[in-house]
Amino acid sequence: MEPWNLQPAHDTGLTPSERFRSVRRESGLLESLAHHACFSLLRSYFAIAHRLTIVGREKLPAHGPFVLAANHCSHLDALALGAALTPRHRERAFPIAAGDVFFQTKMTSTFSAIMLNALPMWRKNCGPHALADLRLKLQEEKAIFIIFPEGRRSRTGSMMPFKHGLGMLVAETNVPVVPCGLIGTFDALPAERNFPRPGAIKLAIGNPLQFGSIANDRSGWSQIAKSVESNVRDLIGQSRAA
Amino acid sequence: MSEVTRERLFGFRHAFDDRVTVVLTLTAVTLFLLAPVLILVATRAANSSSDKRKELWDRYRSWIWLALFILIPILAGAFWTILAVATLSFLCYREYARITGLFRERTISFIVVIGILLLTFSILDNWYRLFVALFPLTVALIAIGGLIPDQPKGYIQRVGLGVLGFALFGSALGNLGNMANDWNYRPILLLIIFAVELNDIFAYICGHLFGRRKFVPNTSPNKTVGGALGAIALTTPLFALGAHFVWFDTALDTPVRLLGLGIIVSVVGQFGDLMLSSIKRDLGLKDTSKLIPGHGGILDRFDSLILVAPAVFHYVNYFVGFAVGQQQQIFTGWKI
Repeated sequence: MEPWNLQPAHDTGLTPSERFRSVRRESGLLESLAHHACFSLLRSYFAIAHRLTIVGREKLPAHGPFVLAANHCSHLDALALGAALTPRHRERAFPIAAGDVFFQTKMTSTFSAIMLNALPMWRKNCGPHALADLRLKLQEEKAIFIIFPEGRRSRTGSMMPFKHGLGMLVAETNVPVVPCGLIGTFDALPAERNFPRPGAIKLAIGNPLQFGSIANDRSGWSQIAKSVESNVRDLIGQSRAA
Repeated sequence: MSEVTRERLFGFRHAFDDRVTVVLTLTAVTLFLLAPVLILVATRAANSSSDKRKELWDRYRSWIWLALFILIPILAGAFWTILAVATLSFLCYREYARITGLFRERTISFIVVIGILLLTFSILDNWYRLFVALFPLTVALIAIGGLIPDQPKGYIQRVGLGVLGFALFGSALGNLGNMANDWNYRPILLLIIFAVELNDIFAYICGHLFGRRKFVPNTSPNKTVGGALGAIALTTPLFALGAHFVWFDTALDTPVRLLGLGIIVSVVGQFGDLMLSSIKRDLGLKDTSKLIPGHGGILDRFDSLILVAPAVFHYVNYFVGFAVGQQQQIFTGWKI
């Protein structure tokens, strides 16, 4: 017989509000149903209001772990990427969201956790251990992370340089990074607007990149960030031209 | 639906028809009014640390919420009582699934949840034969559901955990709901819940007073033989006295049978406590969750009730029966 391999939920021993903010959170049956319902609705919303077109969906790996890295200029970005995933993927997909926006109050953190399955990234005082926890979760739980390596929404619509954090997640691992280019989200919902306006959104998915041989140090992280950034730039350029 | 059934399910006007209900409700209210005074006096006298004081107040506040969660549905009607028992089943199963890791086996968890929903329906419908049938049927479904991932490795574990979860939190706890199909369910349920909680407290106090020899040091190092025997000695007569008024002038109303029921409540209640201690120790955990401030998880609080429910149900059912004369198959009883 198999040795006993069922482990308690990684978030055992946390109070409900601590749990929602923890990156060790694991969803139960009801929460999974809530994410599925939420992203199914979002899918219909994007199809109707934004005529979302996805190019290169076949390039997504069959299962986790992998990281979706995209340009960021709107709150719609994470939702569009989440809606683009198949139901099988969605079960393990975690948008990495700004702690100070999505997890500041009990209300927002409950919503972000239950509906979006988001994990917090605290931008002000995030030490290396926060990224180490995420790196561990990515591999241990075969997770799918949706991340925006620019670190904040672009206020002009043009892409900013990628930060190192992405490299810290995947350097020296065989977790693939899938570059994604989003077009149209800035016009639909820029940072200063509260409600989105209809308008076409396009998502271009690139070939997965592997960084198993890149050193897990500062220069390695920077190399990874640059490589993914140029891939995303190319995707956006190609899509605009098409 | 007959008039009697409607009154049983929703008739809150009957809340205080039975004097045992009145006495127990008043006792609970009195305890809640007195407790703050006792906590103040005790913490002052013992010069307790602020942490200890905070823990006591947390416990007190949580007890008020728990008492409301128990008392209001029971007094309001059998329908609400059955829903409250179903909620308890789900919360207990949720904690169990999370601490054992069973929650990752989505298919099995889903089947257990469906099983508990169907059990709740069979109880609401007062269709006892369906209630009985659902145990083997759900077990069979869990055994089939375990096949779906097509991974024989770990099959016995996931199916075994699923069956244990359904047996304890669905079937066993469901017996509490089934008691609500009796016309006089209010004093019965209140008496059982009161006795089980008091039993825990008696074991704790007696353990402190006369506890010398450890009872089961590997399972629960704080339990002592003195505490266990003390709880039996105190709970049994108290429960027998209450039961005498509840089942007045029935086949159960003889000293031997009443004391027998009291012993069952006390002994089985303590075993329920030890069962959860074993589960937690096996997993290396202290509490099952942090849902209730000062107590831990729902399971930490209601562990003793899980095994008591079927034991009391079948003991009473043997002598007097439950739901005698009540309409059966309330919703499904139509004839073609």
